[in-house]
Amino acid sequence: MNNAKGGKGIYIAALLLFLGGLGYLLYSGLSGGSVYFLNVSEALAMETGKLSQARLFGTVAADGLHSKDGSLGVVFQLVDKDDASKRIRVDYGGAVPDTFKPGVEVIVEGGLDPQSQVFSASMLMTKCPSKYEKENRG
Amino acid sequence: MILVAYWSLLFCLLLSLFAGAAAAYQAWQGKGEGLVVLEYAHHAVAAVLTVASAILFAAFVGKDFSFKYVAEYSNSVLPLFYSVTAFWAGQEGSLLFWAWTVALMGSVFPLTKNYRELAGQTRVLYWLFFFLVQGFFMLALTNWNNPFIEFSPAPADGRGLNPLLQNPGMIFHPPLLFLGYGGFTIPACLALAAWLTGERRSWLDMGRNWAILSWIFLTAGIVLGAWWSYMELGWGGYWAWDPVENASLIPWLSATAFLHTALIEERRGALRRTNVVLVTVTLVLCYFATYLVRSGVVQSLHAFGAGGIGGPLLAFIASGLIMTALVVAVGRGEMGRELSGLYSRPGFLVLTAWLLLAIGGVILMGTMWPVISSLWSSQPIGLDAHFYNRVTLPLFLGIAALLLVCPWLQWREGLRDRRGLGIAVGVFVAAIVALALGGMTKPLAMAGTGLAAACLAGVVLVVALDASVRRRRSSLGAWGVHFGLGLVVLGVAVSGPYQFSREAVLQPGASMDMGGYTMIYEGFEERSSEAMILVEAKVRVEQGGELVGMLRPQRRLYQSFDQPFAEVSTVFSLGTEVYATLLGVTQQGAASLKFSLHPLVNWIWIGGTLMCLAGFLALRSRSGRPDDAPTQREQM
Repeated sequence: MNNAKGGKGIYIAALLLFLGGLGYLLYSGLSGGSVYFLNVSEALAMETGKLSQARLFGTVAADGLHSKDGSLGVVFQLVDKDDASKRIRVDYGGAVPDTFKPGVEVIVEGGLDPQSQVFSASMLMTKCPSKYEKENRG
Repeated sequence: MILVAYWSLLFCLLLSLFAGAAAAYQAWQGKGEGLVVLEYAHHAVAAVLTVASAILFAAFVGKDFSFKYVAEYSNSVLPLFYSVTAFWAGQEGSLLFWAWTVALMGSVFPLTKNYRELAGQTRVLYWLFFFLVQGFFMLALTNWNNPFIEFSPAPADGRGLNPLLQNPGMIFHPPLLFLGYGGFTIPACLALAAWLTGERRSWLDMGRNWAILSWIFLTAGIVLGAWWSYMELGWGGYWAWDPVENASLIPWLSATAFLHTALIEERRGALRRTNVVLVTVTLVLCYFATYLVRSGVVQSLHAFGAGGIGGPLLAFIASGLIMTALVVAVGRGEMGRELSGLYSRPGFLVLTAWLLLAIGGVILMGTMWPVISSLWSSQPIGLDAHFYNRVTLPLFLGIAALLLVCPWLQWREGLRDRRGLGIAVGVFVAAIVALALGGMTKPLAMAGTGLAAACLAGVVLVVALDASVRRRRSSLGAWGVHFGLGLVVLGVAVSGPYQFSREAVLQPGASMDMGGYTMIYEGFEERSSEAMILVEAKVRVEQGGELVGMLRPQRRLYQSFDQPFAEVSTVFSLGTEVYATLLGVTQQGAASLKFSLHPLVNWIWIGGTLMCLAGFLALRSRSGRPDDAPTQREQM
């Protein structure tokens, strides 16, 4: 921006201060808000210690799908979109979205228990059968 | 008819390319006598594109399932309203709608006095840039996103419209965004052309209404999208920082920054080059939003068909940026006057623009982080909602803080009204104290609420104290937009941090207490129609033994869709809104219900609507000297 010569110094000082503040916010945001975005096969290839907080993308398997008796939630197998042999068991305790069913693509966020190898999800979202996607519909 | 429509698009492509080439030749030769031909060429494109669009509309109304696009987005039981609006329900149709609106707006502009007063060479260059944009649309529609593909043999029925889209909020959300995206084409092409020629008349003055209208449409589209998410998706939220949501917010932020810096040029003659860059970058960001949504470059909650348009869009975006840089470098536009000192209204407007652009940059970076992180990480790393909230919310509060002070500053330098600023700051402090005494403890929510109260009080004071503001319609419009913004800040600051949800399985007659309310589940009923079967739960909401309202959340099973969809129910309130989603009903009649309380959430929709409506007041009915030209007092 083309500023007054006389006032340029104050704008430059303000910009530096502003960028400093922004940099701090970005640094704290990046260190606190980063999670791995992984397909199932990528998650299985990683050390389990790194999967304490991750977002997984995959498809709901037709087998191994159980609703929880007397409470909300679901247990299911999350299958890799490209390699059906790669699977992770997911345990989710909240309200299940309407569009959740075998075959749909879902996103789960949570962490993997290294002992049980079960991914405990705090968030489950089905991919929106969006206005732009034909294949998911009907 | 499919062939006629497709050939129409091909005709538009060829004509746009030829007209663009003719404009380039004329610009190169420094001639302007072929202008009429360029204008007629564009009108012809707009007319033929209207015919193609009409064919698609007619196919939807007539349920002609030989159109593959119609078969994929409608069926025989879809109500007429949704059949017509299914035009923009899919990728191909929405692109056609966008191209059509650009063409129509492109036909209106040459009819205006502003256009006729432009120098011939500027007009030629304007058409060159416009045909480049239009040509790209036609190329996309005839190649990667063709809405006119024949289904042979035609199916007996279509697949139907996704039930999530069968909601007025969702139906009007996409076209409003496209109107916003499309509208920026005119001021952007105008800015580039005028800067290249060093046009005598101010392009900003001529493009001002187009930019404001586009901003209004974009704002309305975003607010409506958030409202739809809140009312239709059943999760009780309105913003999840999904790439698709972020996509439209980024150009909105740059457009808002542009409107603020444009004010500085209009009033003080500074930042001329900055404004050319900002308005063209806004247009480019509109295409980048489309790239994010349709290329599949980042994982999103929404499933997008890549459709092969990602590569061409990226090339178009890159070309746009390079062209903007070249035009700004070689153009003959007049450099701006000096900017006032930082402690002035222009100084604070510049700070506002920095903050808006920083937020846009942060969101852009966050959205693309899985791609960026692949430079050093073998596994993509994404950023969740915590990142966006942590980084952008303080920046948004910074904008509200600037709005608290800005109205009381002079255009040259220094404070113009100590009393007004004192009252606004007093309201802020009093609000913070009151909130603390009332038990509010979350710092960002307190700061947001306090700033919102101070901004609202400030706007009221400005209008009350300054007779010149009341006299000028566009000034009233601008302050109305800021009053709406204050209401949005208030709603966001309280409804997000203080939202409270609980899920429960209730037998008929059972109740649940939460947040001072008692929810009594009275039972359910089943109904059916040609289009759906539905189950509706009846929940009585009481507070202190008094009836507050009835909640009737539903689960619907639509024909053609084998999974149920929730239809939420709310007890409307300007205070705390009670919200219910029916998750399921057992054969014994027990209902799984999710209840949530949303304090002040409706002020977001009220404020957002006010921002859009007040924006219309800011439009100018005549060109030339603005009716809100600075008064002598402001100049001092």
